[in-house]
Amino acid sequence: MKSVYRVLAYLIALEVVIQAAAIAFAVAGLGTWIQQGGVLDAASMESETTEFTGVAGFMIHGLNGQIIVPLLALALLIVSFFARIPGGVLWAGIVLVTVVVQALLGIFSHGAPVLGLVHGALALALFAVAAIAARRSEAALGAPVHAPAPPAGVA
Amino acid sequence: MLAPPEAPAAPRRPGRRRLLVPAVAAVVVLAPLAWLWQASLLPGTYSVTDMGTVDDGRGNAGHAGHAATAGGRSVDSLTEPSAGPADVRVELVAREEPFRLASGEETTGYTLNGTSPGPVVHAELGQLVEVRLVNESVRDGVTLHWHGLDVPNADDGVAGVTQDAVPVGGSFTYRFRVHQAGTFWYHSHQASHVQVQRGLLGALVVTPPGGVGAIDALALVHLYDGTRTVNGRSGETPVAAAPGERVRVRVVNTDNAPMSVWVPGRPFRVLAVDGSEVHGPGEVRDVAVEVTGGARTDLEVVAPARIDLGGASVLVGEQAPPAAPRPAATLDLLTYGTPAPLGFDPAAATRSFDYVIGRSPGFLDGVPGMWWTINGHLFPDVPMYMVAEGDVVRMRVENRSGEGHPMHLHGHHAVVLSRGGVPAAGSPWWVDSLQVADGETYEIAFVADNPGVWTDHCHNLPHAVEGLVAHLMYEGVTTPHRIGGPNTPE
Repeated sequence: MKSVYRVLAYLIALEVVIQAAAIAFAVAGLGTWIQQGGVLDAASMESETTEFTGVAGFMIHGLNGQIIVPLLALALLIVSFFARIPGGVLWAGIVLVTVVVQALLGIFSHGAPVLGLVHGALALALFAVAAIAARRSEAALGAPVHAPAPPAGVA
Repeated sequence: MLAPPEAPAAPRRPGRRRLLVPAVAAVVVLAPLAWLWQASLLPGTYSVTDMGTVDDGRGNAGHAGHAATAGGRSVDSLTEPSAGPADVRVELVAREEPFRLASGEETTGYTLNGTSPGPVVHAELGQLVEVRLVNESVRDGVTLHWHGLDVPNADDGVAGVTQDAVPVGGSFTYRFRVHQAGTFWYHSHQASHVQVQRGLLGALVVTPPGGVGAIDALALVHLYDGTRTVNGRSGETPVAAAPGERVRVRVVNTDNAPMSVWVPGRPFRVLAVDGSEVHGPGEVRDVAVEVTGGARTDLEVVAPARIDLGGASVLVGEQAPPAAPRPAATLDLLTYGTPAPLGFDPAAATRSFDYVIGRSPGFLDGVPGMWWTINGHLFPDVPMYMVAEGDVVRMRVENRSGEGHPMHLHGHHAVVLSRGGVPAAGSPWWVDSLQVADGETYEIAFVADNPGVWTDHCHNLPHAVEGLVAHLMYEGVTTPHRIGGPNTPE
C-alpha cells in the first residue's frame, strides 16, 4: 500500500506538470490561429468545433482537472487509510482539498478571471504537497516495516 | 542457507483493528459518494411529467407525478385545428452524410434535401404550413423544432416530450399556422447538441402580405468545423442592392452562444428581435448588436453597407465599406425603441416563478462533474412550472453559475420587464431566446396561451445535456412520450 500511495502521489505531481504544459500549448496555439485569421467569440468558443494546433490542450486540461486528478486524489486518500505512513492521511487530505479548491477555481475563473491568478499559483502548491506526500511514503518505505510487537501480557 | 526465523504470530485483535479502522474510514469517505452516485442514476425511460419538483407559481412546491391528471389531454391532441389543405407544403429529407458547403469546404454531418443549411421555408402571415420530415439515414433518429414559432404543442418537435424521434425510414408531418411575421428557424431536437452543430437546421421566414417594403435578405449564421458561414457560405456573402435602397437583413444565430453583429461606418436600425417587430426603432451607429444562441435580429441598412459577423460578412450593394473591428459599445435592447402597449398586464400575474441557474459538483446520471443547477438542484430534480391556460406568468431568471446562458422557452414569447431591477424603458422587448449573462437577473412575463408541455432550457445545447433543462406544463396535459431509449432530446 505504501508503494501505491507513493505512485499515486507522484502521478498527481506529474499531472500538475501535464496541466501546465497542456494549457500553455493550447493558449499558444489559439494565439497563432487568431494571428492567421481565426476568429474567436463566445459562439465559436462554445461550438467546440474550432480546430487549431493546440486545441487538444484545452480538452486535456479540462478532462484531467475535472475528472482524472480528483479521482487520483480521492484514491490517494483511501489508500492512505491502509498504508500506515506517518502523516500519510494528513498529506493525502491536504492534496485532496487542494485539488477540490483548484478545480473550483479553474471552473469559476471563467466568470471571474482574477481567480485564474490563484489557480495558476495554487498549481505549484499542489505539486509541492503531492511531492511531500510521495516523499513521506518513501521515508516510510525505507524505515523498518514493523516495530517489534511487545510480548503479550506486558503493558 | 539459514531458514528464516519464524515470524511471531501477530496478536489477533490489533491485527483486526489495524484493518478495521482504515476500512471504516474508507467506507465513511466512499459511502456518501456511492449513495449520491446511485441516487443520480436515471431510469431507462421516464416521462418529463414525473420529473422534478412541481412549482405552482403560488408558493407551493411538491413532488412531480401528483400534478399529472389522469385522463387529461395528451400532447398528441394539441394540433392545428384546421383540417384544410396547407398553403405551404414542404418535404424535408434528412440524411447523415459528408457534404460540401456552398463555399466549397467539405464536412460531415447532416443534410436536409441534400444541403446544410436546409431549404428556407417561406410562408406569408396567416398561412397554413405543412412540413413532412422523412428520415432517410440519420441513425440516432431526428425531429424538427420550429424555433421561436408558437406552434401547437404536438408540432413542437421535442423528442420524448411532444413526439418520438423519427427513426430511419420513418416520417412525421408538422402542421401549423403562422400567426406572426418574422425570422425563425428550424432544427432537430433529437440529440440536438450534435445534430444542430453538424447542420440539421434551416431558416423559416414569415413575411407580411406584400413583403417587408425593402429588399429582404437572410443571413443564417452557422459554424461548420469552426468556420463561420452565412447561408452555408464562408467569407463574404453579397446582397444585390442599388445605392440608397433599404435592405432588411435577417440574422439568425444557430450556434450555442452569443455572436456580435456590427455595421462599419454606417447607421442602421434593429427592426426586429426574435421575430417580433421593435416599436420605434431609432437609427444607431458604432454599436455592436449581440445575437445570442438561437436568437434572431433583423437589421435595416441602406446600400452600400457591410454587416460584419465576426469572421464572415454580408456585403450589401457594390463598394461596401471595408471591414472594421467590433465597436466597443453594445446596443442595449432594454432602452432601444419606444414604449408601446404589451397587450396584457404583467402586474396582474397569476403565477410567479424563479429560474435560478447555478453550478454545483455532483453526479448527473452517474457521471461526476460540475453540473448546472436550477433553483439549487441538479437535473432531474428541477422545477416543473405549472400553469393553466389564461394565466399571466412572471418569471425571474437569475444566473449565478459563472457562465452566460441563452435561455429558450418553447411555444411562447416572453417580454422583458427588467434587468437587475432596472425596468425596460424602450420598445416592448419580446424574446424566445434571452442571453442571461453571469451575475444578471431578468424578470420576464408571458401569457400562458398555448397548452402543452414546453421545454424551457439553455440553448447552449451542450449545457442542456449538462442538466440545464426544465419544463413549463399546463394543468391537465399529459404526454405519452418518454425520454430515454430512442428519445434523447438534448
